[in-house]
This record gives sequence, structure tokens and C-alpha cells, in this order.
Amino acid sequence: MFEVFHSCGLFAADLTHQVHPSNDVPLVLKVLGLLVVGAPAVLFATLGIASLLRSKPLSERVIARCIQTGILTGLTAAIAMLGLMLLWNDTQIPIELGSWVHMENPAEHYHYHFIFKFEFDRLSVPFVILTFVLCGTIGAFANRYMHRERGFNRFFVLLSLFVVGMVTTSLAGTVETLFSGWELVGLSSALLVAFFHERPAPASNGLHVWIIYRVSDAALLMASVALHHMKGEGDFDGFLAGEWPMGRTLLEPNQAFFVGLLLLIAAMGKSAMIPFSGWLPRAMEGPTPSSAVFYGALSVHLGAFLLLRFSPILEQSLIVRILIVVVGLSTALFATFAGTVQTDIKSALSFASMSQVGLIFAEIGLGCYYLALVHILGHGCLRTLQFLRAPTLLYDYRTMEDAIGERLPKFSGMWQGKTSERVRTWYYRLALERGYMDAYLKESIVRPVLSALRKCDDFEHRWTRMLGGTVIEKKPSSEASSAFEELL
Amino acid sequence: MRRDDPKERRSEAVLVQDSQNPTAPMTGPKSFSDADARAEVKRLVEHAAALLPSQGPITAFVFLNTLQALEDLPFDEGVQKGARLFGCEPYLTEENYREKLCQDRIHLSDLSLALQRDLKIHAEATIGSVTTRHQLRLAMLQYPLRTGPTEELQWFVAETDALTRVRADAPAAVRDRFLTETKHWVMRDLRMRLGHHQGELDPGLRDDRPLPIRELLDRFGKSSIERWSPATWQAFSLQALWRTCRNGMFSLPPWVEPRVPIIRHRDALREATSFDSDQLVHPILIRFCAAFADQGFANWSLPNRVDGFYKSFFSVYNQQNGPPDPWMSGLPAELRRIEAANLGPIESILESLELLGVPPIEWDEFLTASLIALKGWAGMIWQLEVRPDRQAVSATTGCLIEFLAVRLILERLALTTGAAEHLAFEGPLSELRDFAKETLSKHTHSSIEQRAFLIFQLAQVLGWTPAALCRLETKDWADLIHEIESFTSMERRRIFHQAFERHLRAQTLDAISIHTARPFSRVSSPRLQAVFCIDTREESFRRHLEEIAPDAETFGAAGFFSVPMYYKGVADAHYAALCPIVIRPQHWITEEVDATLEAKNRRRAQTRRVLGTASHNVHLGTRSVTGGALLTASFGVLASIPLVARVLFPRLTASIRRRAGQLVEPPPITRLHLERKSETPGPSGDGVGFSLAEMANMSERLLRDIGLTTGFARIVCFFGHGSFCLNNPHKSCYDCGACSGSAGSPNARALAAMLNDARVREILATRGLVIPAEVHFLGGLHNTCSDSITFHDIDQVPLTHKGDLEYAQSILEKTCERNAHERCRRFQSAPLDLSFAAARRHVEGRSQDLAQTRPEFGNASNAICFVGRRARVRGLYLDRRCFLHSYEPGADDAECSILGRILGAVVPVCSGINLQYFFSYIDSPGWGCGTKLPHNVTSLLGVMDGAASDLRPGLPWQGVEIHEPVRLLMVIESTPAGIRQIISRSEVVRNIIHNGWVQLALLDPHSNRILVYREDEFHQYQPSVTTLPKANSSAEWYRGWREHLEFAQIEA
Repeated sequence: MFEVFHSCGLFAADLTHQVHPSNDVPLVLKVLGLLVVGAPAVLFATLGIASLLRSKPLSERVIARCIQTGILTGLTAAIAMLGLMLLWNDTQIPIELGSWVHMENPAEHYHYHFIFKFEFDRLSVPFVILTFVLCGTIGAFANRYMHRERGFNRFFVLLSLFVVGMVTTSLAGTVETLFSGWELVGLSSALLVAFFHERPAPASNGLHVWIIYRVSDAALLMASVALHHMKGEGDFDGFLAGEWPMGRTLLEPNQAFFVGLLLLIAAMGKSAMIPFSGWLPRAMEGPTPSSAVFYGALSVHLGAFLLLRFSPILEQSLIVRILIVVVGLSTALFATFAGTVQTDIKSALSFASMSQVGLIFAEIGLGCYYLALVHILGHGCLRTLQFLRAPTLLYDYRTMEDAIGERLPKFSGMWQGKTSERVRTWYYRLALERGYMDAYLKESIVRPVLSALRKCDDFEHRWTRMLGGTVIEKKPSSEASSAFEELL
Repeated sequence: MRRDDPKERRSEAVLVQDSQNPTAPMTGPKSFSDADARAEVKRLVEHAAALLPSQGPITAFVFLNTLQALEDLPFDEGVQKGARLFGCEPYLTEENYREKLCQDRIHLSDLSLALQRDLKIHAEATIGSVTTRHQLRLAMLQYPLRTGPTEELQWFVAETDALTRVRADAPAAVRDRFLTETKHWVMRDLRMRLGHHQGELDPGLRDDRPLPIRELLDRFGKSSIERWSPATWQAFSLQALWRTCRNGMFSLPPWVEPRVPIIRHRDALREATSFDSDQLVHPILIRFCAAFADQGFANWSLPNRVDGFYKSFFSVYNQQNGPPDPWMSGLPAELRRIEAANLGPIESILESLELLGVPPIEWDEFLTASLIALKGWAGMIWQLEVRPDRQAVSATTGCLIEFLAVRLILERLALTTGAAEHLAFEGPLSELRDFAKETLSKHTHSSIEQRAFLIFQLAQVLGWTPAALCRLETKDWADLIHEIESFTSMERRRIFHQAFERHLRAQTLDAISIHTARPFSRVSSPRLQAVFCIDTREESFRRHLEEIAPDAETFGAAGFFSVPMYYKGVADAHYAALCPIVIRPQHWITEEVDATLEAKNRRRAQTRRVLGTASHNVHLGTRSVTGGALLTASFGVLASIPLVARVLFPRLTASIRRRAGQLVEPPPITRLHLERKSETPGPSGDGVGFSLAEMANMSERLLRDIGLTTGFARIVCFFGHGSFCLNNPHKSCYDCGACSGSAGSPNARALAAMLNDARVREILATRGLVIPAEVHFLGGLHNTCSDSITFHDIDQVPLTHKGDLEYAQSILEKTCERNAHERCRRFQSAPLDLSFAAARRHVEGRSQDLAQTRPEFGNASNAICFVGRRARVRGLYLDRRCFLHSYEPGADDAECSILGRILGAVVPVCSGINLQYFFSYIDSPGWGCGTKLPHNVTSLLGVMDGAASDLRPGLPWQGVEIHEPVRLLMVIESTPAGIRQIISRSEVVRNIIHNGWVQLALLDPHSNRILVYREDEFHQYQPSVTTLPKANSSAEWYRGWREHLEFAQIEA
């Protein structure tokens, strides 16, 4: 009845055996595409396996050489790909890595298949190049910055995992592929926030990031399940026809609304939009280079990327687009507002990032896709530079003061003069406390959910006791969940 | 596994208070009148404030003893008390010291001697009739003793080879004797007796004790005893030993460890429930402190900041609809209640103390512990309060008290919520501490297994056989275990540390004693003289200079060259204080452009102003919505160019930046405005400068201090030093310590200009200090990061001295390369086979690299301070570990007034540097600021770890990595009588020297005899070697080696 077959990850074999007709893709492009995806994967495998098998981690020099080779290979291939695409005026190149699961029941229209497919187009190629450039630079930077640090090896394993995740997400041609990359990005980011796990703060903040990411992951998972349910497959061409950004969706408006809403939630979590913003300033616990590349540049833009990727679906639903604009603009305003009272450079930069990502959301909602893409690229590069130079703040201020010849002027907002002191103070506290975002989440969502779960747990105990007829001691379940609560 | 795990200790140590310390005022007054109570709180807070980190804004890093407030205690007592108060480590861990024992940084003989000195006559006391105290303690130091929970030990004994093999590190001879004797004992005595007198045995084998040895014999097969293999015998002996030890431990009195009193309610509650109220209080307090202390980073500053911490906090937090967290929901109401009752900060503290149920007798400890809980921020607020001259935004008087008042209010709220939620405690807070303490498990004593296992392990390394132990009486066992248990981990570490210091001390004194036996004299008719800072980094520089140019003579003096001043350069916006932190300068000096270049200067200043404003706007713009959008969407991608270039090609980018920078720099020819026109000094107009008399005084003082009063060379250079590196919030800790963390070149330049002034020379001549007319003085800068030398006022050098200047420049250029080469041996990322020129390029690259966390190592590895004639130690390789101050004992008077004023500065400055490194190394996250990598610059005055944490004073790990934490060994060329006079004159010097915060040795001015100061007496030092290693050049000695080196004689 079910025809299930696995074609086990041999790329060469996969290339010749394909479900979808993309045989017209020239071999050179296939090779380049494989290199783009494969280089980071091989890099991660090398570093990861070496750390598992060897009692002593690889030397700093070898790790640096690996990172350099891996990322340069990927970058060169990506640029070559871009060049060929421009040369041959080809704007969409799908590359498939075989069908992994294929189930069909024609009688009941039951169908599922799972393909690893990558798509090179106007959206993914710039994003991949940005990833390689930034991660490569950060890799070179961190090689000296992390010199002699105990977690040197761990850092680079996680960095390479992050690159794999970013490349997979940006090139994904199916929802499943996108989701797996999305997960890897989340995992590596959360682990790098908790990089200094000897201290309690990084560990608990890392967990905080992880929890928010899980919420967003759940939304993305639901969206992809929904898409499967509607179209029977996760391939983008199944519901997004045409080339980005001129594609259109094959979904009905109400379907688009539902999926769009889930995608928006996923994007909001990943990009620290209101009300999930609390994690971004908390994520500044890792070493400076990881803060730079993750929260300044790449991972924070991933939500925006997701929306760009699914833009045709969004176009189908006006309400979702309005929601995106609202969420984006309010985040931008909030972040600017909260950013003005921050006293440390990393928080200030993370709020600055947040406000730009909010604007990018708004641009996407308004349909300016190219503008949003350019904005992402520019913002990513600039913010990475600023994060890397964050420790030099004192010197910069001194230089600017010396040049100007006096203390630096302050630019207070226009509105401040027009309100009463009491109101100003009230808003100051709101900004200083970062909009009480985390506390509200905890009080209005986490607590009720937890107490509901606790009730369920209680009920289950009573139920089993009744069924079993024996007296089962009630487990003190509150302890575990109160620990969970504290983390938020 | 081990009980002395440092992490675990730290969390415990927080709770420890000085129960034994006699200085802690445990006997305070019982009750107060209102006014008295307020005065008392004020006094106690100020008293506690002295303990807080004394580091001001990080832009002017100041080296001070981390435990300066405890300098009136002897060193060991002081560090242990400090460690208890702050929850930090007083010494390295035992593992660290044992590693050093393996690496030969400590000899066993050092350890033995240190023990001997510590125990004195008690060393040979017999313990439990099996060993002497000295022997026992030495074994405990030498061999790590495993301990742990009873279950773990039982598992260990049952499952590992603990009972089948003698521990591997036991000496072979001891092991063999242990096995043979046990075998003899069994075969000769035990088997016979067991055979004949069943049931009536040695006291050690009484039947009421578990598993006597008789059973063991049966278990191993008594009948086959003559065929037992050596392995069986070994297992049997160990099991017999283990059983004997366990039997011995029965019915002994328990060891009572000093109970740790719990001071803060938070600690009691945390012990009882693991709920930490500080985790609620600190985030809000950190945010608020950062906003309060902000020097101008946030664009929107704290409302009502000028009213002080307390009022400002009230105004921000007393409005409705605040943070929704349950524990803070009562905050607005509470604040309004306090406002309505018109309570000031001190009254509020008193109220909090009463509500928390803290009796006056505990106030001191409670308030101190409460302040120390957030020591970084509290310390910074105190510094802003007491040193308003050092930053843009200061704090009003009483801010620390206000901080404490706010802290206690928040703490009360957090405790109430926490106690209700986690302890179901609804009563008044004043009963919380006792309530929580009652729920704590009572103190447990170590079990029989735990105690027996200690003796079991020691027996193996000391060769106590079961036979010998069987003969012990109960009293002996009690003695033995008491002796072992009372030699605690802390005591062991103290002894280890003394041995560690002793090792390096002996090495140093040997080297100096042998080297100073040579005949010596000043360089006759020197071609070049150069005066450097006392800094340890200049030791190698001077040594290389002297090697390259044997006709050069060098001197050392504190790097502000006796010219304390506020200084403002042409391109500076503000004055900076260039002098040690203890001095407040009285004079202001500016740099001015040569009159002919005034127009050009004005043009360039205008350009700089425009560029500066623009870059400030961009800086802020990228963080705002609209500006950020415009900038990132338009030019953002272009940022990838500097990003990639600066990370991948730091040197190239730096040279491009430098060229571009030259276009707007002030013109190269400038003068210091040195001479004052008006009577009184002031920061502007005619007030700028010194009077002629002041100039003469400063010049004379410096020359006399370093003993440069005759035999001048034609050219004499003064070099201040500074470090120029990128992306480093701690940059200023690499600058000159004697200039409060700035570069010292303006001082050098000023001094040179004064000494070139004919009128000054005239005055000096009248005082018997004749400087010949052909002598020209020059000031300069030694950049210690990129190893380069810059001269000031080169245009003023007379034509007659052109040749001398060129000579000096060429020599110094070579010296820079050599010095860079020597530094490179300590950088793991610099290959060991670099050429001189390549080494120079390497250090230049370091100084320009954004990603470099170790641009240089600063004064790390400093250990010695030599005050005396350079000629005596010239040619001695001191491995950049020695501060060098020049001093001519022959020129000093009978009261040693010159030495007195030198030591008055050198002792606190050098011991401050040394102890700051000491503590930052000993416990990097505790006393220092941990690793640099997650640092986050906050409020423009310090760094936090990550997103939010306590402010982190101290040195980063990357800066102290190569340090060896030993107290500074001062070697002074003087006599006991002279030093005693100085000690009696200066309290600061007396405290530091007499209480052992530095070690002191005296070098006889006329021979190589060395006297070591110990316990207020001078003891003659006996060198342990007669020769030193010799090398033809420094490079020949240090090349190919990264670790610390022995001292050697360089025979250039």
C-alpha cells in the first residue's frame, strides 16, 4: 500500500535520480550549489567529529584553517553561482538532494513526500553571501579574540553549526528543509548565549532565549503542518508559484491568513518583535563576536527572511500584512524609545538592531521586498562592525570629545519638552524597565499556562489513582515548574 | 569529590564571617538614641565603604591594593578576612600549588622550610606516637588527600583498586617497607597469636568492632598463607590497614568546625530554600545604578539625578502602574509611605534594620555584607562621591548611604515575597532569619569512613603499618585525627603560598647577591643617558639599551618624573591628572601650537570639529529609527569594507587610517605652556603653568632622587610611557601607573624643558647642582605596546647636538626591536624563531588589531622592586619582573630623607600594582574582572559581564595570565638603621612593610651582604648557590623559551 523508499544521502546518486524535473540545471551550477551547502556541512562534521573522537580538541591553528577553508569554499561557490546566474540571466535554480520519504495512497488521496531541496534565487543568494562574509570575518576575528580561551573549540563547533543552519534556512526549497535549518540556528544561538556556563546569568538567559525560540519554532512547525495539510507537500513550488519576489501563492485567502499568522508569530519570536523583545538584550551574554554575528546581524534577521520567503502568501491576506506593519512599527518605536535610556553599549546596540528589524518588518508588510532585502544586508554589515568595535567605546567617545573640544551634546526628544515631569518620569521607568515585556509575558502567559498544566497533572494523578485503586502519593510537581518559572 | 573544591567553597565562604577575628567590633553599643543611631549608621557605612573596590572610572585605571582597607592587618590575616568578606579565594587552590610543585616552581625543601618556620619549636612534636607534626603536615601538603561524602568513599573503597594497590604516588621505598613489615607482622606475630589465644587480642582487634583482622585472614585463606602472591599480600595489607584505621576512629570525639554565622536574611533564605532574593533585587538595582552613574552615554538621562540616588529612585518608582512583577507590586505604595512619613535615607535604613530585626550589635556586619553584595556598583558610587575631580558626572555626598537605603527597601520586598512563596512564611520579616535557620539541616560531623580514609591515605605515603597503628591507644588516635583535621585546607594553602614565595625569593636574592659581588662603577663619560619609569616593562628595555650601547647609562624614576600636573594637549578636550592617584595636582599645563602655525592649527581644529560632530551624529544616528534606516539601507553594505579590512588586514588598515589622520592632526611643532604669569595657578589664562621656583624644585628633586648630579652626558632623555591599542576597555591599565593610567610623556617633556631653561639651571647651580652648559635634555614617549620611541621638541635641539641625537635615535630604534623580540617570547601566538625586525612588526600588528585581547602583558609577572644604583644590577637578566628605581645611597643624608621620599611613593605604588595583579590572578572572577570576552562597557566608566552584572573592577584574566602571584620583594640598597627611621616616619610604609604586604630585603651599599626582614628583625641571607648562568646577550638567554626564566648574568 505504502511505497516508502529512502535514497540514502549519496549526493551523486541523488543528483541523477530526481522526483522533480530539474535536469535542465547545468552540471556546473549543481556542483556549485552542492559546494555552497556542502562546505559548511563538511566543516561542521569535521569539527564536530574531531571533538567527539579526540580526547584533546584540535589545535587553534587547525580549527582556524578549517573554518577558513570551509567558509571560503562556500563563499567562492556562492559568488560564482551569483555570477553565472547573472551571466545566464537565470533567476531561479533548484537543486535537489533526493527524496527521502515518499508515501502515496492514490485511492484516498493520501500523499506525503519529503525532499531536501535547495533553491538559489534573488532572495537566497544575497542572504547566503551575507552569511558567508559575516561568518568568515567573525571566524577570523574570533580566532584571535578567543585565543587560549577554554571554550575555543566549542565556540567554533557552534559557529559552524550556525553557518550550516543559516545556509540551510536561506537556501531552503521546502518547508521541512527550512525548518531544520531554522532549528539549527536556534540551537547554536542559544548555546552560544550560554557560552560562559560557569556563571548563572548566561545559563539562565540562554534558556530564556531558547524558550522564546521554541515558541517561534512551534508556530513554524504548525505552519508547515498546515501547508502540508492543504497542499500535500512542503515544496515551495507547491504553494508559491513563480520567481521571488514576483511569485504568487496557490493558497486560498483564508488559508493564507491562517498560515500567514503562524508565520508571523514564528518570525516575531526569531526577530525579537514585541512582545517577544525581551530576549534580545539578554542574549548579549556570549563572547563579543558571537553577539555581533548573531544578534546584530544574522539570526535576528531570520524572521524577516522568513516573511520575505513567504511573501506571496502574505500578499494574499491583507490582515496579515497590516499586522506585520503594526508589529514592525510598534517594535521600531518601542526599541528606539527603550534604547535612549540604555547605559551600556551592547544593550543600546541590541535595541538599535531591534528598531531596524522592526522597520524591515514594516517594509515587508508594505510590500517593498527589495528595499527590505537591501536594508537587511546593509544593517547586517553595519551592525556587525559596530558590535565588534563595542569594546572601543570609551576611546571613541574620547576621540569625539577631543575633536569637538567639549562634552558631547545630547539630543533629547522634542516631545520631552511638551509633557509634564510626572509623565516623563513614568515613561522613563517604562523605558528603563524595557516595557516590562518579560514580566508581562510571565504574568499573563507563563503563569496561567503553568497553573493549567499543574491542574492537568493533578487531575491525571487522581485519575490514575482512581483507575489503579491504589493510593499514589502526589508528586511534588511544583518544584520543577517553579524552577522553570524563575528562568523567565 | 574533594571538599576543598574552590567553587563550593566560594558559595560557603560568602556566609563566613570573622568569628575569630578580634578586630571585628562584636561588642557594639546595645541601643541608641535617635541621633546616635543615625551617626552610627553613617559611621558604619563609611567604614564599610573603605572595603569596597577603590577603582574609579576605568578610563583612568588606578592600581591599588585590592584589600587596601585591611593593610593594618598582617598579610595572611588580611587576605583571609578579605576572602571571607567577599567570598573570594585568598590563595591559589591546592591543586595549583601541587602543579607548581611538579613544575619545580616550588621545591619540596621550600615547603619543608616554610613549615618549619611556621611551626617553630612545635615542629618536632610527636603526634599519636607514629609521626612528627612536621612530617605529617609535609605529607598532607605533598600528597592530595581524597575525601567526599561517606557513600562516595564507600563506593570508592569497594569499587576501585584502593584496597588492592598502594596509591601510586607513595614513594617506592616506603611502599616496600610497608608491605614487608606487614607481612612480617602477620607471619611472625599475628598468625601465632591468633592461633594460640582465640578471643583475647590486641586492643585494636576487639570484637565489638566491625570486621576485625582475624576475619580478614580467614577470608584471604589462612591455610594457604604461605603461597600468597605479592598481589594478595598487597591487598591483604591494605585491607588490614583500612580496617585498622576504621577501628581506630570509633568512639572518638567529633571535630567541631567553626560554625558559620549567617548574617543576611537572603543567605538564610537561600540556604533553606535555594530562593535567592538578590536575583530579584540586583537586576533593578544594576539598571538604576548604571543610569545613575552614567557619564553621558544614555541619550535620556535619569530624571532628578541631581537630587541624589534616593530621591531620584523615589521619583522614578513611586508612580502607579509600574513593573507587573508580583514582588514589586508593593513598591510604589511602600515608597509613598516612606515619603509621607518623611523618612530620609538614614532613617529609612534604621527602619529597615528594625523591620528586618537586626539588633545594633549586628549592624556593622549586616550593613557591610549588604554593601558588599553588589560591591562593584557600590564601590563606584562611593568613588563618584569621594573623588569628584576625576569624572564628568559625580555624585552628591551621602549617595552610598542612599544606595544602601534603596537596597534595603527592595530587599525587604523581595524577602517578603520569597519567604511567602517558598517557605510559606507569613510572619514579620524580623523573624524570618531565625525561622529559615531552623529549617536548615543541623551541622553534620565527618563520619568514621571520612576520617578513617584520611589516615588510610596518609599511612600509605608515610609507611604506617597496620602493626604500628594497632598499638595506638584511643588517645593517640584522637591526637592523630585532630592534628590532621586541624591542618585545614586554608592552612595548607597558606603554607604552600609561603613556600612558593620563598622559592622565588631565594632565586632572586641568590642572583642579586652573586651579581653584586662584582666590582662596579658608574659609566665613565657616558655618551647617552636615559631616564625611564620604574615600570617592570622598562627593565628589559634598559637592559637591551645597555647591551647595545655599553657607553649608555640608564636611570629609573616614578613615571611622572616629580611633575604632578593637570595636562591638556592641543587636540584634547579636557585636562587629565598626570600623577599618582594619592596626589591632587595643583597646577595646570597646556600644550600650544607654535605661533607660526596658529592659522593652520585653527583650520585643522575646525575640520576635526566638523568630523567629530559628524561621527557623533552617525554614532547616534545608526541607533535611531530614521537615521538608522537611512544609513543602513543606503550605506550599510559599505560597512563590510572596513569590517573585512580591519579584521583581516589590521596593519594595512591602520597605516591608511594613520595617513588620513595626519591630514587633520594638529601641526607637529608645539610647546608646553610651562611658565605661569599670575601668582595663583588655575586651569586657564595666566593661571596655567609653574613658577620658576617650582620648576627648579621639581627638577632638583628628580635629579637628586635618581642620583644624577654629576657625570652628565651631552644628551639626557626622559621617557614617559604609554600603551596604544584598540578595542580594549582596559587600555588605561597598560598606561603609566604613576600617571593615574595615562601616558607619562607630557611629564617627561615638561621636565626636560624645565631643565633646559637657563634660569632653572642657575638656581640649581646655587644649590650645588651644576649642570654643564653642553648638556641638553629631551623628553619622549615609549609606546610599550608597539615598542616605538617618539621624541618631543626635537626642533629645539641645538645644531651642536645633531650628531648626539642621531646616535640616540639609532640606538633606541635597535633597542625597540630587541625589546619587542623579548616580549614576543611570552605571546603564544608569536613564533619563537622571529627575527628582531619581524618581532617588531608582530607587536605593531598586535597594537592595531581589533580582535587582540592581549595587546601586551603590562606589568604581569612583576615580583621584585630594586631601589639602588643601577651599576650594581646592570647586566643582570631580571626577566621583566623587576621595578627599578635609581637611588644613590652615598648622596643621602643620615636620616635617609631621599630614600624616605622615594619609598613614600614607590612602596604604595609598586605594592599597589603588585597586589592588584596578585589578587586578579588568585581569583580572577572574584577579585579581578574575569575573562574579557563577554565584557560590556557600561555608563562610560566600567565593564559588566554580558547583558547585566555587577560592575567588574580589577584586571582581566587576559592581562594577568602569565603572572606569578607572589608578594613584591623589595630589595633596597640601604642599612637597617636607615630603613627603621623611614618606617618610623611614614605610617603607610610601615603598615605595608611591617604587616608583610611586601617582602623586604636590604642590600649592603658596600658589599653583597643581604639582610632579609622577617618578623620585625633583619636576618642575614645565605646564598644557596655560588654561580649564576651566564650568557653573551639577553637574546641568547631567553630565546626559545616561553615560561619564566631563571636570572642570569649577561656579559655583553
